Formats: sequence, C-alpha cells, structure tokens
Amino acid sequence: MGGYGDVKLLNDDGSRLDGRTFDESRPVEVKAGVIPVADGSAWVKHGLNEVVCAVYGPMEAHPRKIQLQDQAVIDVRYNMAPFSTSDRIRPGFNRRSREISKVTAEAFASTVMVERYPRSKIRIEIEILSAEAGTRCAGLTAASVALADAGIPMRGMIVGVASGKVEDTVVLDLDKAEDNYGQADLPMGIMPTTGEIAFMQMDGDLSMEELQQAIDYNFAAAAEMHDIMEAALRARYDGGDE
Amino acid sequence: MAKQVVPQLLRQHLANLAADDERISGRGQWEGRELELEVDCLYNADGSAKVVWGDTVVYVGVKFELREPYSDRPTSGSLMCGAELRPVAHRKYEPGPPSPESIELGRVVDRGIRESGCIDMNALCIVPGESVWMVVLDIHVISDGGNIFDAAGLAAIAALRNATVPAARYDVGEDYKLAVSLTPIICTFTRVGGRYVYDADEEEELAGAERLSITLGDNGSMHSMQKGLKGTFTTAELSEILDVCATRCDELRKLVDSKVE
Repeated sequence: MGGYGDVKLLNDDGSRLDGRTFDESRPVEVKAGVIPVADGSAWVKHGLNEVVCAVYGPMEAHPRKIQLQDQAVIDVRYNMAPFSTSDRIRPGFNRRSREISKVTAEAFASTVMVERYPRSKIRIEIEILSAEAGTRCAGLTAASVALADAGIPMRGMIVGVASGKVEDTVVLDLDKAEDNYGQADLPMGIMPTTGEIAFMQMDGDLSMEELQQAIDYNFAAAAEMHDIMEAALRARYDGGDE
Repeated sequence: MAKQVVPQLLRQHLANLAADDERISGRGQWEGRELELEVDCLYNADGSAKVVWGDTVVYVGVKFELREPYSDRPTSGSLMCGAELRPVAHRKYEPGPPSPESIELGRVVDRGIRESGCIDMNALCIVPGESVWMVVLDIHVISDGGNIFDAAGLAAIAALRNATVPAARYDVGEDYKLAVSLTPIICTFTRVGGRYVYDADEEEELAGAERLSITLGDNGSMHSMQKGLKGTFTTAELSEILDVCATRCDELRKLVDSKVE
C-alpha cells in the first residue's frame, strides 16, 4: 500500500469518511451494449470509476503462432485513458497495465468455455475513463457483462470486488483516500453462481482473521453486484427487469 | 490497421443508390445522423465531452500541465492534441504504437483549433520565461461507426469550452475557466458511389473513396482542410461542398453553444 504516515481515514465515532458502513459498497451502475460496432460491450460506473469494455470475436487468431489447437485464446487489454487520472498519464502500456491485462485474461480463460472455439481469439478491450481506486475490479465486472452481451458462453459471470484495511478496520470497497493511505487491499474476481474465485491479488498487511473478514465482505458484495449486472443484461434484451 | 475486405456487391449497391440520389441509410446526400453531445462528463478530466453520432462514440478529455515556455515565445502557452484509435473502437484496429490513421486524426483536429486562434496562448502564461500552461487534448475513440473526424472535432471544441485551468491543484493561484473565444467546427465529406455525401457511416466509408475535411470558424473563414484516402476531386465538387459545409458548421456551432453556455 502507498501509506504516507498518519492520514485520518475514520471519523472519531469510527465511521468511514464518506459515511459508508464497513460492509457498504460505493454505488454501482451497469449498462450493456454501449459500443455499437463491438460484438458485445458494457459500461460500468463504480463510485467515481468509469469503465467501458468491448468484446470482439470469437475471430481467427493471428498470427498463427498464438493459436491454441484445442481452445480459444483470451486476449485482454486493460488501458487507462490519458485523462482518467488526476495527473495526465502518457498513452500506451506500462508494467502495471500489462500485469493487470495478463491476470484478467487468465481469469476469463478459466470461466469462458474456450474449448468451444479452438484456434480462435476472443478480444476483451477494457478502457478506463475515470480512475478513483478499484479500476481493475470495475474492468472485470464490465468485461463479464460485455462477454455475456456478445453471447459468448461462460460458466458464470466474474464480479470484481475488493476489501481492504484502514486504521486496523476491515472495510469493503476502498475509495481513493482509503486505497492511497490504507493498510491493505484485496481485490477479487468472484463467480457468485458457483462460489469460485477466478481472480485475486493482495497487498498490504492482514491477519488471518482480517483476511477471512475481507473474503466474507467480498462474497456478499459480489452476490449483490451480480444482480445489478444481470438486470443490465435483462434491460437490454428483455426491455426491463423481471 | 488490419486490412478489410471490401465487398464488391456493397460497392455496386452504393453506386446504384447514388445514381437514384439515395443512401444506404435512407438519408439525403447532405443529411447527418442523429447526434448527441454531452459535456463535463469525465470525473478526472479538466474539461471533457462525449459525442455519440450514429454508431460512433468519441470522448475527449482536456488536461493541463505546467511547462517551461519555448525560448522564442517566453509568454506563450502551448497546445498538444493527440488521438488514439485503440482496438476497443473497432475490430480493424490493432494494438501498438500510434498508427498513421490516429496521427492524422489528431493533427487535423489540432490544426483546426490552433489555426483558428480560439485559445489566447498568452493568457496561459504564469511566469514569463519560466512556466506556462500546456493544454493537452486527448481524443479517445470508443466506437468507430464512421466519420470519427467530425465527432472528434466536435467533442474537442466542446471539451475546451468547458475546461477549467486547475491552478489550485498546482499551487499557482485559483482555478479559472479557460478562455476560448471562437468555436471552430470540422465537417467531413466522403465520396460514396461516385458522389460526395456528408457524415458517411461505417459501410459508406468501407466501400467509399477519398474524404475531405474542412474546418470553419465563427465568421465563416477557413482554418484547415485535409484530403485523405485514395481518390481525386474537382474544384466544382469542392465549391459545392463548401456551401453545404457552411450550413452544417453553423448548426453544429449552435449545438455547442447550447451545451456550454
């Protein structure tokens, strides 16, 4: 974590600075089908984070050397727009975005039914428009909805959620200040329909008890967010919620 | 950019339609698609706009950076305008360093804004010879459904017109609105089925030929032109386009005015 010493992250009465309870997520909004030319797409607003994702494919995998004979290749690009952060960032890949792209691709390779599309490629393009802590999770959520929108078969939708620790307290869904000055962060990609974890990273300092608390928070939040994702897909294809 | 196969049937179909003064979308020759402009829509940008124009979606974000001025212009700020055609925007776009297509887009939009003189560069001076603001304009194409030049140009000027100079964040005074005195507007025409049309869509661009992009300022004066892609045109065709261009630019300028005032 990027701790910079003593920054107050909890109020005197023990509540969070933005008024949320410890197990309360920032508001999440999801829309499916926002990129007309893509095979599938989604838009996610998670707190102040804003993410769009396009899915193209399955398509021929080229160059041929990247082809897998018995399954599809999942090709993920996580990219931050130059204007997505407080200080402008130079366009193009860096070490951070490459790593996130890699582990995100591996998460979806484990949930998409890749064996149905040998020698092909599925492109997942995640674009971060606003970044305020938690973009990799918002990207996972957006990519799941975009894959479903593209009609690509999966064992379940991965939901991106995170918990962390601020002032020795485990809390769900760190905001920018909590992420910058907190003590730990545990982003996870959870499939609520099967209870499996497809994505996990962690940094900071957590006891085993705190880890269990963070995992519990993440699972509960993922189940709630899954409903929002499903409602977005229903709104696109059914014309409204059930 | 991946090479796309142009279906010969589509090309023939567009030519047949053009002969009957029709378009594949049912639009008239000089008729644009439905257009939505939203400003101040990106949380971390200092100025922003989103344009949804038919199947095309473009975001533009403005950021400011502190720079040392050029030695020959010690009180003048600067402008940088870049475009990215990332693989998110179409299956034809591939990852990698900026393509010639994205560089052309960024430079055409840049010229229209720069040459119109709509930004007073001397108003961006903080300490002469030491520090000035650089305005950085990033064009982010999210969906290329045709005519990204006009969508990018419109989003760019709208984003500039609602931009706030973040002086407080850099500890050099109080935030203030960027002064933008004019509204240059870009209009693009594409040869489809042998004749020019306004605001070509994805299919028309795929099977079309050259395009002409023209930027006009508030008083009708011209600030930039660009002929792109394979094909040639005549002066008669150019003057016909210029008449339409003036009307379309006025309409779009009114749209920008209505969103940023």
